[in-house]
Amino acid sequence: MTKKREIIFSLVRGLLAICIALFVAMLLIFISSEGAGFGEKLRATGAALKQLLIAPLFRTGRSGVSFDVKRLTDVLASMIPIIFTGLSVCIMFSANQFNLGAEGGIMLGAFTTAMVAIYVPMGAVIHPIVAVLAGGAAVAVLMLLPALLKTKLDVSEMVCSLMLNYIVMYVIKFLMNTYLADKTKGQIQSYEFLQSAKIAQLVDNGSKLSVGFLVALVVVVICGLFMFNTRWGYTIRMIGLNQDFSRYSGMKVAGVIVLSQVLGGFLAGMGGGIEMLGRYNTFSWSALPGYGWTGITIAILAGNNPWLVPLASFFLAYLTKGCELMATYANVPAQLLDIVQGVIFLFFAAEQFLSRYRQKLVVKSAQEELAGKEGAKHA
Amino acid sequence: MLDFLKMLLTPEFFFSIIRISAPILFATLAAIVVEKAGFCNIGLEGLMMFSALSGSLVSYYANSWLIGLLAALVVGVLMSLMMGFFAFQLKTDITLVGIAVNIMGSGGTLFLCKVITNLTEGKTMASTTGFITKGLCIPNITIPLVNKIPFLGGILSGHSLLTYLAFLFCLLTSIMLYKTSLGLNIRAVGENPNAASSVGVSVLKIKYIAIGFSGLMCGFGGAFMSMSYAQGWSLDMVAGRGFIALAAQAMGNGECLGGMLSSLVFGFAQALGIKFSARGLDSNLASPIPYAVTIIGLVIFSLVRRSHAKKERSAAAHAAQAAK
Repeated sequence: MTKKREIIFSLVRGLLAICIALFVAMLLIFISSEGAGFGEKLRATGAALKQLLIAPLFRTGRSGVSFDVKRLTDVLASMIPIIFTGLSVCIMFSANQFNLGAEGGIMLGAFTTAMVAIYVPMGAVIHPIVAVLAGGAAVAVLMLLPALLKTKLDVSEMVCSLMLNYIVMYVIKFLMNTYLADKTKGQIQSYEFLQSAKIAQLVDNGSKLSVGFLVALVVVVICGLFMFNTRWGYTIRMIGLNQDFSRYSGMKVAGVIVLSQVLGGFLAGMGGGIEMLGRYNTFSWSALPGYGWTGITIAILAGNNPWLVPLASFFLAYLTKGCELMATYANVPAQLLDIVQGVIFLFFAAEQFLSRYRQKLVVKSAQEELAGKEGAKHA
Repeated sequence: MLDFLKMLLTPEFFFSIIRISAPILFATLAAIVVEKAGFCNIGLEGLMMFSALSGSLVSYYANSWLIGLLAALVVGVLMSLMMGFFAFQLKTDITLVGIAVNIMGSGGTLFLCKVITNLTEGKTMASTTGFITKGLCIPNITIPLVNKIPFLGGILSGHSLLTYLAFLFCLLTSIMLYKTSLGLNIRAVGENPNAASSVGVSVLKIKYIAIGFSGLMCGFGGAFMSMSYAQGWSLDMVAGRGFIALAAQAMGNGECLGGMLSSLVFGFAQALGIKFSARGLDSNLASPIPYAVTIIGLVIFSLVRRSHAKKERSAAAHAAQAAK
């Protein structure tokens, strides 16, 4: 099949998956909407859908539709952590390692960074850098556990990383409650970050779009180059495709499996750290933030390709914002997002979804090729 | 220390171990059967969440725990068959299907709960804890005669109906896997699908049966969570039991008896955690104990398996040498 057709096919398939998910969303909104009759419900559904699909970027009022910069920066800002978890999952899944530790990873990263930001005074520019790197390093070390257990003892990295998520959450909660909380405050939160540690904002409109966004984009480029232009990246992808083949052809499979998870952990930790310093003044997370799971959806949407992660992150950030607005203005619970995410996820990852259409395209390409050859012969 | 031991060696403590193990055991049986059929269902967690929610809601609206339980089972089976459709027919990676179900099971159940009950306590918290009254809980059963036995009676009698079912199902599943043709087919499909299909076994059908069975077990487990363990459904109430079950399956070497013992180990760990926090240990330090035990258990299991394999190999080598 020609490359062009391949791209068109994946586009059609992706769009259709999204459409199905939106259709499911519409059904659910319709069922949950208030209203007496069918018509009223339909109108409520329409209003809710408008919030979901248009409102994240545009403000609709009497005067028509107008572009809203604040909402755009909101969406961009919420992309920051999920770009990192998306990349993290991309790298781990590329090596066929179903490590689901990005969720606990981002929390540990955020926590470690926060601690460095509070208790280790440093110069202005160097402070956030060191703090974020410390966050990344902490998670990288944490990920050594599932990675080494997998390679040395064949313990499922999936179960292990899932358990670690819970352990990380509880230990951090324990440390916060007993030692680190600012007792003068009503809720459990840490002391304020030192001024020198805060990450500067790009736009000063309260949407918390920090320099971290640029860092995230740079990291996307680095990951993209790493995965497709270096020997390590190639090895990771090769192991993901066929581990036995990689072993027989002399690749250091165990080492690379560990590497992929450590790198993934590092990215997740960095994401947590940047999110912390860019958005908050104190550490106050008391539960897992959910960015790790979103990261998995992003990796699936991006097909484990780092270059596509920003696009997928934008899409999910947009949907998230839409769901939030819908919850506020149309009274539809924001957790609809999880169902939509799940449905998109299922269809996107479905290999046989639209396989007949694909088959037709393949046949068509082959026929054209044959015809071309015939034509060349006659000429 | 002696004091503490004395506190542990009470019928109540052993009773709580069994009670806590029950939902894990259900999920472990689910994991065992699908593993025997050759794949891994990591969506157990999400399945249990959906079953827990539907069980509590239906029992409230129908005003009957039995109908609620049946609803939980139906939802569990239907969801798992849907997972099967995506995994087997549309060829989505089964792990990803499981993750999708877990994502939906976490926030999606909260969405459904809010929509169906119109509850919006605060911004995020909504639960059906007010819905399930004592009468709607799955009944506890006092076994006559057994409850008169000193010590043992207090441990074995008075459990929820589902707790007894869990251990009964453990036995039944084992019989199903090893004494029936269905079990043989399931194991054959797991070991070598091509060979199984060459003798006329429908691989697809067997896989659907296996995943449907896992849904059924999760239905029981979910119903237990929301209608017996706790009264009512709340967000993320399954709290990783579906994942712990995967570990229990691995630690039990994929067998029902082993799975049961591993579930009891986790039950013990959690019961111990609860006791610790009752003695003043921070609950945030007590809560991660079962999860840590899971990892440690997996490591120990893997070490044991490894040394077994080594012994077998060396025994085989000795035998070969002796034969020479």
